[in-house]
Amino acid sequence: MSVEAQQGIATPRIPAGLGGLLPALILIGLFFVVPVLTLLLRSVTDPAPGLQNYAALLGDGTYARVFFNTFLVAAVVTIVTVLVAFPVAWMLAIMPPALASILFGIIILSMWTNLLTRTYAWMVLLQRTGVINRALMGAGIIDQPLPLINNLTGVTIGMVYIMLPFMILPLVGTLRAIDPMTLRAAALCGASPLAAFRRILLPLSLPGIAAGGLMVFVMSLGYFVTPALLGGTSNMMLAEMIAQMIQSLLNWGLGSAAAFILLVVTMALYALQLRLVGSKRVAGGA
Amino acid sequence: MLLDYDRLGWLKVALLAFTALVAAFLLLPVVFIVLLSFGSSRWLAFPPPGWTLKWYQELFADPSWIEAALTSARIATMTAILAVAIGLLASFALVRGEFRGREILRGLLLTPMVLPVVVFAIAIYAFFLRLGLGGTTTGFVVAHTVLALPFAIIPIATALEGFDKSIEDAAIVCGASPLQAKLRITLPSIRIGIFSAAIFSFLASWDEVVVAIFMASPTLQTLPVKIWGSLRSDLTPVIAAASSLLVALTLALMIVTALLRRKLQT
Amino acid sequence: MTQSFLSIRKLRKAFGAFTAVHDVTLDIPKGEFLTFLGPSGSGKSTTLYAIAGFQDPTAGDVLLQGKSLLSVPSHKRNIGMVFQRYTLFPHLSVAENVAFPLRVRRRPDAEVKRKVADMLALVRLENFAERLPTALSGGQQQRVALARALAYDPPILLMDEPLSALDKKLREEIQAEIRRIHRETGVTILYVTHDQEEALHLSDRIALFRDGRIEQIGTGEDLYLRPATDFVAGFIGNSNFLAAEHLETVGGASTIRLADGALVSGINANGSFARGQKTRLMIRPEAFRLERSPNSAELVVEIVDVAFYGERRRIVARTSAGQEIDIRPTSSALAAQDVATCRRPVFFDPGAAFLFPA
Repeated sequence: MSVEAQQGIATPRIPAGLGGLLPALILIGLFFVVPVLTLLLRSVTDPAPGLQNYAALLGDGTYARVFFNTFLVAAVVTIVTVLVAFPVAWMLAIMPPALASILFGIIILSMWTNLLTRTYAWMVLLQRTGVINRALMGAGIIDQPLPLINNLTGVTIGMVYIMLPFMILPLVGTLRAIDPMTLRAAALCGASPLAAFRRILLPLSLPGIAAGGLMVFVMSLGYFVTPALLGGTSNMMLAEMIAQMIQSLLNWGLGSAAAFILLVVTMALYALQLRLVGSKRVAGGA
Repeated sequence: MLLDYDRLGWLKVALLAFTALVAAFLLLPVVFIVLLSFGSSRWLAFPPPGWTLKWYQELFADPSWIEAALTSARIATMTAILAVAIGLLASFALVRGEFRGREILRGLLLTPMVLPVVVFAIAIYAFFLRLGLGGTTTGFVVAHTVLALPFAIIPIATALEGFDKSIEDAAIVCGASPLQAKLRITLPSIRIGIFSAAIFSFLASWDEVVVAIFMASPTLQTLPVKIWGSLRSDLTPVIAAASSLLVALTLALMIVTALLRRKLQT
Repeated sequence: MTQSFLSIRKLRKAFGAFTAVHDVTLDIPKGEFLTFLGPSGSGKSTTLYAIAGFQDPTAGDVLLQGKSLLSVPSHKRNIGMVFQRYTLFPHLSVAENVAFPLRVRRRPDAEVKRKVADMLALVRLENFAERLPTALSGGQQQRVALARALAYDPPILLMDEPLSALDKKLREEIQAEIRRIHRETGVTILYVTHDQEEALHLSDRIALFRDGRIEQIGTGEDLYLRPATDFVAGFIGNSNFLAAEHLETVGGASTIRLADGALVSGINANGSFARGQKTRLMIRPEAFRLERSPNSAELVVEIVDVAFYGERRRIVARTSAGQEIDIRPTSSALAAQDVATCRRPVFFDPGAAFLFPA
């Protein structure tokens, strides 16, 4: 009896500190979870109960192209971002602090600058009569303006620009956590710089590359602003299609169903990323 | 040796050259837009045939730009205050609390950051249409607070995790009430986290486009909506002027942040 | 000596205005176990890094069998190294770590397999081949690092304070392993440590570093019994330094006057001294005897404390000049009750005492 009584005192009836979560939970519950669930409900009730919205989305070649294009753009953006970010993160991780802080300043400035501002700049830079085409023609490299905007090239440039900081910054952390002595040991073992890169540096930074790459991929999948402004009509992405279905076509059922598909894919990849990062954290703690 | 800056040899030259190129790529649009805003060509020719301030004059002569900026500032400020207050309470619970499902709740509160904004935008748009909150300041602030909350929770919770709770306990042993101890000891110690949270939530609202596009009404437009609308019609240099002012604001925020951090850390 | 195996010629390394290594010259015969001993910042690790190729020396040369190593990049120097920190490749198993140097040399699979088995047997970790480094203790990790460094039969093995992260018991255990492996493989070892006991225990010769220079190089016995400078005497083993006035030196044997007026002859002189010059007399605690012997010199002291340390006793005594000295006779020599605060003479052999400038 006394043991039970003591246990009753030791374990609080209301979990400690839960009260502080109430405002956040009310906000998120009422204005995030409920609206999103309502929207999902609409995908199977509007205009009539049933799965006809999903059947329409998955059965139509036009929509299939949008899905394919979304994954294609996200994949291309992710690959280019990783390839560009890795050498920069590598240098940032080991360069003298004074130089690194200048570079960090540039990265933060680009990241914090208004998204529309950056996209607007790219629109002007990339257009047919824009600076880049004029420079290339002036240098005699091309004699016809390159189509740099309203196509995959434009979306890729604009998106990579936005995603780079999200890849570089975490990767710097991963690279800084690698002991430089490990690479010295590899060199003395006879590994040429290429072998040391392929067999040691790359595998050791792979968790960071995977986590960052997955994040960039997930963010790219649902991106709206940049593809809408820099992409072409022939390579529309999912987010833009959803917006169009709701705003222009007022087709809530179809739009909600497409949104649900985007949500499921995003959340599945997010869960995968959490497992990657989580397992890395566990390994790091051991 | 690959991680020894001074032992990379020719590889260092190549990598630094590449890094400099990427830095130039990152700076290019920002610098370009500022130069363009002073250019005299309506057709955005570059380099500009001459220099002028007329786009800034046009910008300030148009009350709809000023009004949009003020609307954005008002909404972003309210969002930042709300997000920091709610985020602070939530962070204490998430870091200090001992209850089941803590990680799940943390994940739930951070979800608005990973869910594609467009999904949330149409969901909250439909929801607010029913509640009659569409196109109202309240609607904007609530929706933006949902989106800003993760950006408030992450820095505060990180700062709180790095704070040794026994210092707060020591204050209580010294006779402070738990609330006094939190207010006078803990909060000042995590002020860098709170400050970052305020900046990030402000920016999350200030720069938010997608929800704003859906929610905006003819009478209530935020700055990004105004820019968006102009962008879709034509690429007038007035946008460059507005954008340059935003870049200036960003730079000011960065400098204030750097200075305050330095001051707070000592 | 014929042409030396590894030769360091006037090696100098400067970091800006600070010179870490001043013109160090050394010759190391094949198969030797040479230790760089010295306090931190004395230049011993910098010298080692120059041999490994992690740092370019400002001047001087490193020659292996007569050929300069300086223009050879680290990965082509064919040198083995064990580091202070654990530098196993965390994503590779123990066996793959040991195999790594052979794989980058593109040796055939069969040879790699055989060599890995041999090496793991050498460090007695046959049963850990498939483990990841994080699943090993610190001592086991350093043994794997040793196996990895030896897998490609390098002519030289560098060891940079490899045991400093381990506790005392483990350290002694691995010291024994290192001695055995040196015996069995005959590899030339350059070993860096700041631990004098480790240096004495392991090395054929010790180079004692101080402020970027080699203060003395010789066997452990040389450094202990015949220290060239008072720094060496103070760094290796324990020493008592007594103030003394130099009277004369004839044929390397000095006569001095101690603070209490006693004259002592037959002291080893390090350097030449003027008559009446103030000097310091170094006597090891173990060199003191409690019984008189034919040639011994005498010092009258007051016993302050006696403690039992197993094989020896430690006696704290005070000279008539008021200086405390440390005396460590064998335990059988004196029982604690015999010495409870008393004045008595203690004795030392002048041949085991050294004279240094004050």
